Amino acid sequence: MKKVLTRSLLTWFLALAFFAGLGYFVVRLVTNANEWAQLPMNAHLSANGLARAGAIYDRNGVILAESVEGERLYNEDERIRRAVLHSVGDDSTSIATSVQSMYRNELVGYSFLLGLGLPESFRSTEDITLTIDAEACAKVYDAMAANDYKGAAVVYNYKTGEIICKVSTPTYDPYSPPEIAEGDDTWEGVYLDKVISASYPPGSTFKLITAAAAIEMINDSPDRYLYCEGSSIIGGEYVTCVEPHNEIDMTMAMADSCNIYFAELAVELGAPTMESYAERFGFNQSFSMGNIDIKKSFYDVKKADDAGLAWSGVGQYTDMANPLHMAMICSAIANGGSPTMPYMIKDVSSIFNIGSLTAGKSGQSGRDMMKSSTANKLSDMMRTTVRDHYGDSTFGEFHVAAKTGTAEVGDGTEDGWVVGFVTDEDCPLAFAVCIENGGFGISSAVPIARTAIEASAPAVRGY
Amino acid sequence: MNGFLGFAFDLAVVILRVVIPLLAVLIIVQIYSSLRHNRRNERPLIMLWDEQDGRAIPVLYWENSIGRSRLSDIYINDPAVSREHAVLLRRDDGWIVTDADSKTGVFVNGERISGRTHVYLNDRLRLGSSTFVIKRAEEFMGRTRRSWFFNVSGKNGVSQKLLLVLITIFQFLVTCEACLTEEVLKSGVIDLTPFGYFLILAGLMWGEYLITSLAFKRVNFEIEALAFLLTSVGIALSIHQSAKQTIVQLIAAAAGIVMFQFMIKFLEDPDRVTRYSKWIYIGSLGLLLINIIFGQTKYGAANWIVIAGVSVQPSEIVKIGFIMVGAASLDQLQTKKNLFAFLVFSALCVGALALMGDFGTALIFFATFLLISFMRSGDFKTLILAVSSAVFASLIVLRFKPYILDRFNAWGHCFEEPYVWDTGFQQARTLIYCASGGLFGMGIGNGCCTSLAASESDIVIGVVCEEMGLIIAAAMAVAIGALVFYARAITTRSRSTFYSISACCAAGLLVIQLSLNIFGATDILPLTGVTFPFISAGGSSMISCWALFAFIKAADERTYAIKKAGLFSSEDR
Repeated sequence: MKKVLTRSLLTWFLALAFFAGLGYFVVRLVTNANEWAQLPMNAHLSANGLARAGAIYDRNGVILAESVEGERLYNEDERIRRAVLHSVGDDSTSIATSVQSMYRNELVGYSFLLGLGLPESFRSTEDITLTIDAEACAKVYDAMAANDYKGAAVVYNYKTGEIICKVSTPTYDPYSPPEIAEGDDTWEGVYLDKVISASYPPGSTFKLITAAAAIEMINDSPDRYLYCEGSSIIGGEYVTCVEPHNEIDMTMAMADSCNIYFAELAVELGAPTMESYAERFGFNQSFSMGNIDIKKSFYDVKKADDAGLAWSGVGQYTDMANPLHMAMICSAIANGGSPTMPYMIKDVSSIFNIGSLTAGKSGQSGRDMMKSSTANKLSDMMRTTVRDHYGDSTFGEFHVAAKTGTAEVGDGTEDGWVVGFVTDEDCPLAFAVCIENGGFGISSAVPIARTAIEASAPAVRGY
Repeated sequence: MNGFLGFAFDLAVVILRVVIPLLAVLIIVQIYSSLRHNRRNERPLIMLWDEQDGRAIPVLYWENSIGRSRLSDIYINDPAVSREHAVLLRRDDGWIVTDADSKTGVFVNGERISGRTHVYLNDRLRLGSSTFVIKRAEEFMGRTRRSWFFNVSGKNGVSQKLLLVLITIFQFLVTCEACLTEEVLKSGVIDLTPFGYFLILAGLMWGEYLITSLAFKRVNFEIEALAFLLTSVGIALSIHQSAKQTIVQLIAAAAGIVMFQFMIKFLEDPDRVTRYSKWIYIGSLGLLLINIIFGQTKYGAANWIVIAGVSVQPSEIVKIGFIMVGAASLDQLQTKKNLFAFLVFSALCVGALALMGDFGTALIFFATFLLISFMRSGDFKTLILAVSSAVFASLIVLRFKPYILDRFNAWGHCFEEPYVWDTGFQQARTLIYCASGGLFGMGIGNGCCTSLAASESDIVIGVVCEEMGLIIAAAMAVAIGALVFYARAITTRSRSTFYSISACCAAGLLVIQLSLNIFGATDILPLTGVTFPFISAGGSSMISCWALFAFIKAADERTYAIKKAGLFSSEDR
């Protein structure tokens, strides 16, 4: 009998393997439950999943989405529905970063502890109030739609971090989502919130980073003069400007957006310094708002020759920038060196509040991007650019510091950029606008930025 | 329903959902606690008194190997004794000694024996140059070893009646929950038919208890209690799926109980099973052959036959015969070391199942074969040889039928395109619905998992998790898994190695089957399509699970306790 007892140890191994597997199943289920439960295949959620979900409001209490008698209703105004689509989301989870996708569990009151099916009286659905102003978004959407622009526009309060206006186009009405045929590219990027999930070549807007590096690392910067002939050979390749700028210092180079000036600086600074400054400014870094990950901006010159390095200093080469991240850089300049972290969830209400969702924190600062003296110098240059070059009337009644950009995309088209901030004490708004295939930033992105600022100002000024 | 009444019902539902899993855990703890308690002290049954040096050797087991091998139950340090010399057995009609093909023979009162020979008190037993006198055990004063599993010193475990009362309460609460679905809460119209099923199931359980305790005089009911607990969950979940299926489950449970009692009666004499083994071989192979010829395909495997409108899965019944012919008493293990007949039989079974396309069951048979052959021979070489030949055979099959591999492509990738829409469809949904259920479930009848194919059998774990929650699902799995520890703990207390081997292998088989079921449905292993013992729908499966439980029940010496009192020993219990 003893021998059989010894041999029966084999069954123990079997049992231990079974219990290990069971443990693995339980751990995997518990850790992934939140993600799995809100997958679109879940019949509890997808078919009529938002039927009993909480409501979503804008900062003024305007209803963006709510459930009435088992139906998910969106704002009455189609303009608003389209403008806030990427922030709010639709019935599906196609727009991955939208509130209705990211926070569906909270909206429908799911937690792994109690599962999805609590009876009516105990359902802890959460209402979510966003920081955005629906009407401001609608105005910007109108302006972009009027020109058939595709792109991203974002405005946020650089003191508190509240995102006031966020629009991504193309967009659609959540009541009639598009049925996209294979190979149909008119809807390209429609499921992407381009403010959060897209990145574009930054073009001249990147000169802000090159300038900051030069101010901090090169002795006679920013007062050094350079003679721009309109084109120059750097690293065996032509770097060209739109027109010869003649004798210029950094402020003039910024205002005129001289490529040669900043390309020379980039080469002089060298790849390691450029890269370390780009990274201090948040390139190659991960940022997030709550659970929502912001697309990483990209800067890498490890394998670049001098020509590549030169072009990287003016936002070409392989540089890529996310619009919200560019707005954060402007907020850092406005704030004297460190950015205020943007957020979109203003308030969460629920009976039990057992979900994981919490409101964003106001006035939370990110890591320092530059010295405060550098920030002041950049701020002055951006202000000069607007005041002396574009004229203050470009932005209506607001005093704005900004940098435009016209970025060459690989396919021969050019994206128009403008990034900047309002210097008026009572209207602390940072913004970034990028119009795909918009050509010159000054003519495409700037008017949209003006609309965005004008539409967002009442939210911060109160009038 | 609105207002106060609506709130009251909602509150009741929430309380039910929390109480039911906790009660299930309590019941399982009580079942195992009862299995650990109510034990006799492990004292020697008789003893062998060495004439030369006056040393007393305790005889601890019902079957004891005697020999020069240090692993023998009775170890004799004598060069004239073979390593495995003899076997001393206890049967209902007394003590028996057998010569295990020793070189120098076994002598009882001076006469050399052949075959099984009865021995009595004060008989002189000579092996090699040693002579032993058979004595009562009372005179033995030494200490004996104890298993960690048993709690001999502690007070008695929960009474069997209370255990059944707890299960009845569990069944009642589950039935209440099944009546209070979301639709009922909304409409306010309650359908009370589930209570009919509840009455039948509770009636079966109490009827079984009364018959076994009054007619068969058995005092323990833990194994049956576990089966009824699991069956209750299966019945509750099938109520909202199909009334027909629920009734089939109840009928199968009744048939399973009859099978269980028959098995315990049949297994009472292990030597009788050996005598019948030829017929078991023939019957099992015949069943599989009929299956291959007349088999019907369901869910991709032709493992069904239809007899008079009732579909039967012969492989489930063959499982029972498989273990029966695999297990053997100790003297058979020592004398007939050749596993050839069983080896051929196993190969035929696995081959027949593979031919039907039922790879899950084929795997179960193969793994059980490994268990049985190792417990019989203790030989790792056989094990390695069997595994490598199986791997080789599978490679040959895949070489000629590579499409079989396609079935397993989704393994580990069930959420990825395109598997999430074809071969990973069920696994991905199972996980989603497991997640939807959370710890306490969405309530019986409120799930979506039931809309999936094979939700009542292969991926029933998804339904359990979704509707009743992870706690209950894990508790049920642990309850079955822990049977292995129990089966191993009673190994040396069984009345024969026949029981030890069959109990360990039955528990092992259940665990293998449960692993394939749970891990297959949840994408940890490839999906093979086997049942969750007692919970999955299926009459054949239900009956075979009861039969497998009978092996475990039979291995516990308490099952046949009433008839074995007073063999050379004044205190047996």
